[in-house]
Amino acid sequence: MDEPVLYRESFAITGDDFEHGGDAAAAVKLVMKDLGLDPAIVRRLSIANFEAEMNVIMYAREGRMDLLITPNEVRVVVADSGPGIEDIELAMQEGYSTATAEMRARGFGAGMGLPNIKRSTDTFEIESEVGRGTTLRYSVRLERPPNGTR
Amino acid sequence: MDSAIHSVIREEGRCVGCVDCSKACPTKAIRVRDDLMRIDPATCIDCGECIRACRYDAVHARTSSPSDLKRFKYTVAVPSTTIYTQFGSDFTPAQVAGALVTANGFDSFYDVTWMCEMVSRAVDTYLSECGGPWPKISVTCPAIIRLILIRYPDLVPHLIPVHTPRELAAKVARRKFAAALGMPPDDIGIFYITPCSAMMQSIVAPVGLAESHFDGAFSIAALYGPILRALKVDAHGLDERFNPSGLAWAMSGGETAGMRNKNSLSVTGVHDVTSVFDTIEAGKFQNVDFIEAYVCPDGCVSGQLLVEGRYAARRTLQRMQARMKGQSAVAEEKVRSMFRDHFFDMEGEIKAPAIKPMTETLQQAIRRRQEKHRLLDQLPKKDCAACGAPDCTTLAEDVLAGEAQLTDCVFVKLKEYEAGRR
Repeated sequence: MDEPVLYRESFAITGDDFEHGGDAAAAVKLVMKDLGLDPAIVRRLSIANFEAEMNVIMYAREGRMDLLITPNEVRVVVADSGPGIEDIELAMQEGYSTATAEMRARGFGAGMGLPNIKRSTDTFEIESEVGRGTTLRYSVRLERPPNGTR
Repeated sequence: MDSAIHSVIREEGRCVGCVDCSKACPTKAIRVRDDLMRIDPATCIDCGECIRACRYDAVHARTSSPSDLKRFKYTVAVPSTTIYTQFGSDFTPAQVAGALVTANGFDSFYDVTWMCEMVSRAVDTYLSECGGPWPKISVTCPAIIRLILIRYPDLVPHLIPVHTPRELAAKVARRKFAAALGMPPDDIGIFYITPCSAMMQSIVAPVGLAESHFDGAFSIAALYGPILRALKVDAHGLDERFNPSGLAWAMSGGETAGMRNKNSLSVTGVHDVTSVFDTIEAGKFQNVDFIEAYVCPDGCVSGQLLVEGRYAARRTLQRMQARMKGQSAVAEEKVRSMFRDHFFDMEGEIKAPAIKPMTETLQQAIRRRQEKHRLLDQLPKKDCAACGAPDCTTLAEDVLAGEAQLTDCVFVKLKEYEAGRR
């Protein structure tokens, strides 16, 4: 974690802003493509970012998606001020969801969000406090070491 | 990529250097330099949006010329299903096909509509047997394939390796006519009669094949007049040789309508297609089996090389199909056994282009991006394209690549001028 951060960019996410749902994930994808990252890495992180962003939109008041690139990995931190998660272990189970019938009818809340983020990434951490908010930290390793030729 | 293999050509003397084509290009492949449009062959997908956008008729599709027919002892026209939508519903497909042959100097014609239905069955078989990744994407539209190769290389494994009806028809036609006439296959010229520039390009520089089974292609618009003059309303009824389900391929939704597998989605127009591809890249639509995608709105029926407007053409198609209902269908068992015998296989594999050797390190890429934003801050973000690039971001990228200067922007230049006067 002591590696130098080569690139950092932050994107705001607003709770309940379904109209712009997915915009932060799309913006991060454009940055990663522009930097010429391996398409497989871009794809894995895009899946994770979309899930994380929609969680903030569905449950929280506001949040941020931070993209941090180090020589060895692409790191994303999604932090929100929201209701927090009571039972993280339960939330990490596939199929578990607190989504309302309306959210499910729109295709969200299949209980695959968090497990999907974990599956798509190399490291995954979740920190949550009820009434305060939730922070997700996940990363994908860059294949080749930073000795000049990626 | 050599520009000679692209199908879009600029007509010298007509281009006035406006920016309509460069603004219309979905892959930002066009720049206007010295009052002339220039296409970057590496990013052009031959979609023909520039042909559509040009008000000066300065961009054309490269097609075969009548003299190409003379290179062969016997010539066969294989028309796109869209040709039957171009002359109103009073004429049957057989009459249109007949007029196409007699009026344009072909010796014969070969129908593609039956092959369309066979390919529908073959794709059904493929979908029921293949593994992921999902959804699978149709290879019918050649501009879609190029869009995927250039902009969405990680979607290449989604492309269905079942050959297109037109290429299979050309392959069968050559074999059939060679046997019937007792001629060497090379003496027979097989020509596609195409509604769009992308099809032409797929013949000159095909994807997934060593080479195309066609020897060339003619634009439907170019042959329209002679066909119209040769058409005759006669007492003949519908020709049973034509397959109504295959005719539907002229329009988006036709491909999916002909399939047993209904877990599909049809998307048209380059804007909507990129939106759907972005969604697939984000891991969505994995519950969809099949995606039919065309860069032209409504599919082939709105190709740039057609004459009839797409709404009139759609209506003609629907009336024709209503009349033909009841006729069908290919023997499914036979298609399945042909599928196992590799009849529908492509001769090569569609491969994502080799990733360009990284000329820059991650650190350099980051510096380039930061520099790009620094340049962009100095640009007006009006995306007026007067500089020759389609928008301010592209100009910034071109400046970084050493292909343009910041002062190509008239607003930057004006600011410099005003600063100099003070």
